[in-house]
Amino acid sequence: MQNDTSTIQAVSGAQKGIGGRLRTWRMHWIDNSRYFPLMLLLPVLIFFLLWNIIPLLWMVGMSFYNYSLITGMPPRFIGLGNFLDLYDSYAVWGSLGKTFIFVFFAVGIETLLGMVLGILFWGSTHLPGRRLALTLLFSPMVLTPAATGTFFRLIYEPTFGIMNYLTTQIFGAKIDFLGNEFWALPAVLMVDIWMWTPFMILITLAALGSVPRAELEAAEVDRLPWLKRFWYVVLPHAKFILMLGIVLRTIDAFKVMDLIYQLTRGGPGNTTEVVGITLFRKAFEGFSMGWSSSLAVITLLIAIAFTSIFLFILNLRRRGAEN
Amino acid sequence: MRTNWRQKIYHLILWLVSIFFFLPVVWIITGAFKTKDDLLAIPPKIIFSPTLANFTDLFARHDFLPSLRNSFLISALAVIVALVVAFLAAYSFSRFKPRGTDFLMFLLLTVRMVPAAAVVVPIFLMYTAFGWKDDFWGVMLFYAMFSIPFSVWILKGFIDGVSPRFDETGLVNGGSRMHVLFRVILPQVRPGLIAAFIFNLIFVWNEFLFNFIIGGKKTTMIPVTLVTGSLSQGGVDWNFVAALATVYLIPPFLAIYFFQKYLLVGMTFGTVRGEV
Repeated sequence: MQNDTSTIQAVSGAQKGIGGRLRTWRMHWIDNSRYFPLMLLLPVLIFFLLWNIIPLLWMVGMSFYNYSLITGMPPRFIGLGNFLDLYDSYAVWGSLGKTFIFVFFAVGIETLLGMVLGILFWGSTHLPGRRLALTLLFSPMVLTPAATGTFFRLIYEPTFGIMNYLTTQIFGAKIDFLGNEFWALPAVLMVDIWMWTPFMILITLAALGSVPRAELEAAEVDRLPWLKRFWYVVLPHAKFILMLGIVLRTIDAFKVMDLIYQLTRGGPGNTTEVVGITLFRKAFEGFSMGWSSSLAVITLLIAIAFTSIFLFILNLRRRGAEN
Repeated sequence: MRTNWRQKIYHLILWLVSIFFFLPVVWIITGAFKTKDDLLAIPPKIIFSPTLANFTDLFARHDFLPSLRNSFLISALAVIVALVVAFLAAYSFSRFKPRGTDFLMFLLLTVRMVPAAAVVVPIFLMYTAFGWKDDFWGVMLFYAMFSIPFSVWILKGFIDGVSPRFDETGLVNGGSRMHVLFRVILPQVRPGLIAAFIFNLIFVWNEFLFNFIIGGKKTTMIPVTLVTGSLSQGGVDWNFVAALATVYLIPPFLAIYFFQKYLLVGMTFGTVRGEV
């Protein structure tokens, strides 16, 4: 009974006492306000303004200035000077090239290996101790690159690292993996592959899980050959999740920085100097803020392009699901 | 009988693959229990008498306990702030679709896709100018912003999955908007909240670069301690590195053991749902 009256009060807007008046106030100013959606958004917008818009404008503005923290001179406007300098810079093109080589090999190998192992793990539902096994398998990707980079420095260490113990046992030669111009990039790539192949296994498992069981059973009944089964039954369903995984991995590989910084700092020479490292070194070892801001603007544009591709695939999947 | 054997071999292979991926970590964990001579011995020692000396040394260091405390406090607080803020925004995006929703979601995603090294330059300039460097709240709120995009994306996906009829029913029955938000919708998106909480916690716990640049003595977290410790002049103290790394990796490891079913949602921005 009491419930009924309160409902009627709420609907009719009848008010009694301070509680009732508060309620009317709330109904008028918050619940029925035109701006209610905006009120909910306000905190995020404030955060966004303070930590994204302001730094972004700062960065774009600074990219037109010559500003070095070492000289102590006030920033000097040089227009597009920084960007022209980037365009001419051998180091920038070199590090962009190295980044793309890194991304290409890392993502390629991780995808292939991840798909093979993901298919291997497809039937693992009855694996004894499955949860622990998967935890061991997936743990590399949730560890911080700062820590894994440190581990691997110990493992690659030329005098007492276990990796060199193995190479001397097998090939009879020591290799200074991180100090050798030829081996540094493959060594860094190997760490990245170790870290992120589990991610592609995870994605492959999810993609395989998205294939309807009925279609698989139909293929089984029809005795479709394995390759055809994969091509005509599995792939049409699995491809969206696989593509999302690959794009995500590409973006993350493009972002790589702390791992390489911790392993080689871009060296020896600049054989492993990817864009992230160039940026970091120019900004915090060379202290030329204007120049690195302009490089940051360029990487931002590349990231926006990647994000658009990601969203495009996401929409593709949504449309695919509706049809 | 034959299939049984085949299945056993199959399971054995799966376990071997899993263990293979874990081997480098095992090497570090065993390293934490070795003496200095055992750790650097050639050939490497598989069998050794374990010692806890590295951990007692670790706790005796002046920088370990503060950075452990900072790591816990900053990541937990930042993620809680981010979740509250993100939940409100995700609800608004999902239900009212204000003008510019798609654009804002795109911007939020972009924030996470930009290389950290590009963002750190303007953030550094801003923090220096405002004097927020090495300030607990400054660093904590930065990490809240760091966690917001992911949380909004994941929570919007989950709220989209809850029928608007629940909201209508709640409102018609005299519930306030806040009642609908926190008593009707919130319980139904609990998996999303848990996934966002756990994975943001891991991401903040793991973050190195920003903490290195905008942090300082008062706000150092474990990864920075680990890296600066591994860069000491005149030879690296590998025992310290191994012991600290072992302590550091306990929470992420436990998180993916206990919250394994959220791993997929957590690692894909909430765009891929389902269990592994």
